[in-house]
Amino acid sequence: MNMEAENVVSLANVSKTFRDFWLRPTVAAVDSLSLAVRRGEVFGLLGPNGSGKSTTIKMILGLLSPSVGEVRLFGLSPRSVAARRRLGYLPELSFLHPFLTAAETIGYYAGLCGLTRREASRRTRELLAMVGLESVAKRPVGEFSKGMARRVALASALVGRPELLVLDEPTSGLDPISTKEVKTLVKALAQGGMTVLTTSHLLADAEDICDRVMILNHGKAVAEGEVSSLGTSLEEFFLAKVGSVQDFALAPFLR
Amino acid sequence: MRPYVSITQATALEVLSSPLSLLVLLAALAMEVFAPVFHYHQFGDATRMARDAAISALFTCGAVFAVFGAIRSVRREIETGTMEMALAHPVSRSGFFLAKAAGVAVSFTVFAVAVIGIALTMFAGAAVGGAIAEETAQLARVYGPCVAAGVAAMVLPLVLAAALNRFFRFRFTLTAFLLATAIAAVAGVSSMFLAGGDAMRLVPAAVLAIAPAYVLAAAATAFAVRFRANAAAALSGVALVLMLPAADNYYRAEALARGGTVPPAYVALALAAAVPAVVGFLLIGIHFSRNRE
Repeated sequence: MNMEAENVVSLANVSKTFRDFWLRPTVAAVDSLSLAVRRGEVFGLLGPNGSGKSTTIKMILGLLSPSVGEVRLFGLSPRSVAARRRLGYLPELSFLHPFLTAAETIGYYAGLCGLTRREASRRTRELLAMVGLESVAKRPVGEFSKGMARRVALASALVGRPELLVLDEPTSGLDPISTKEVKTLVKALAQGGMTVLTTSHLLADAEDICDRVMILNHGKAVAEGEVSSLGTSLEEFFLAKVGSVQDFALAPFLR
Repeated sequence: MRPYVSITQATALEVLSSPLSLLVLLAALAMEVFAPVFHYHQFGDATRMARDAAISALFTCGAVFAVFGAIRSVRREIETGTMEMALAHPVSRSGFFLAKAAGVAVSFTVFAVAVIGIALTMFAGAAVGGAIAEETAQLARVYGPCVAAGVAAMVLPLVLAAALNRFFRFRFTLTAFLLATAIAAVAGVSSMFLAGGDAMRLVPAAVLAIAPAYVLAAAATAFAVRFRANAAAALSGVALVLMLPAADNYYRAEALARGGTVPPAYVALALAAAVPAVVGFLLIGIHFSRNRE
């Protein structure tokens, strides 16, 4: 079987160095990273703050260009519109237009996915029901709590029926019940054949939903493996790879 | 095409929903309605005052509306991350930028319709009222309804929008803006019955004031992609200063006061200068958005 076709996302020796106004290098956020996300799996990108997770996600989404190496999304450049047509994205913070209502927000992203007005309207109703926000569909999202905004953002990520769902800290800001609902939803989507790429600080959450994880530290991959074959809890595995709990907490300051 | 239409609609909605936009519109209408009032009885130059106030309001408030509408909309997208969200969808960077610029242009067009509507009303009132005043000294009989229409275009939308917001949760600022535009447009069309086609002499002069505002809107949208709000506003100011030498030609509008009109060839010339400038700034904006990280 063609492995390239099986890989929804692939990074080959990718590095990303940020530069200042004078083009002097400031931060090496990602260093010689190679990874592959296979079709139909839930892949977790784990690591302490500043380990390069969000930069990696942004390169996969085509929002940042790698300084070195190659990123492919569905075998195409991540900047290609055709590749992004098959993608749904939930950012770490719920980036929403505060002046739009919940229904208008989902309708707006349906429009960006190219859905017709009728399809967009039907899909919006479906998704509002799925995330339990039908009763507040006509309220501006600027008035929403963090958790409600998160649900709108999740619905917006799913509006185009993506083949790949990229979730950056999906349970951030959610209460325990909503967290459980999101995890159940992600598992259901994965069972339905959707590929999921997620980042998380919450190792218990990652352990619950991921098939395979990669641990990043200082922009480098320090470990990769199937969750089911770790032979230990993900937390113990993580700490063994990243260092002590203190190192984990202090990692961003020690660089 | 649908993704870009969605971005244009959302941008126009955002700009028209902004309290700053409503304030600028009300300021422009107030300039048009009240600036000429006290001169009508004193200098006997009513049409000139009405025309000058209207063109000034359109040019100054239009520039503020276009520049700040564009900068606020683009910078908010960048700083709150909604641009990232949009670009993670099947939307090209240049298409996103052009759709934003189109949204700003649409919202400025709505603003211009409102300002020109009241300008036509006041110009017609001054033209007809001035003629009557010379014969009968009853200027207020004609001019009064024109001022009333202008005041209605400012006050009535606020009252109605407040009621619609209270009872039906309509957006206050957007509703007020659109109602003001509708009232001004109706008043402008009605003024043609009052003054015949005379009021329409103002339109070519208004086009001369609108053209640089579109150029500024394109410039501000482009600069906002690359620079922070203050720097983008400053650079837009520089663009305005560079355009000002051409603005002295607006005194061709003097022809209006003598009962003439701005020559169509001159309007065509002004548009021929504005279009390449808009295209140039849009190309700069496309370059900035493609290279933005």
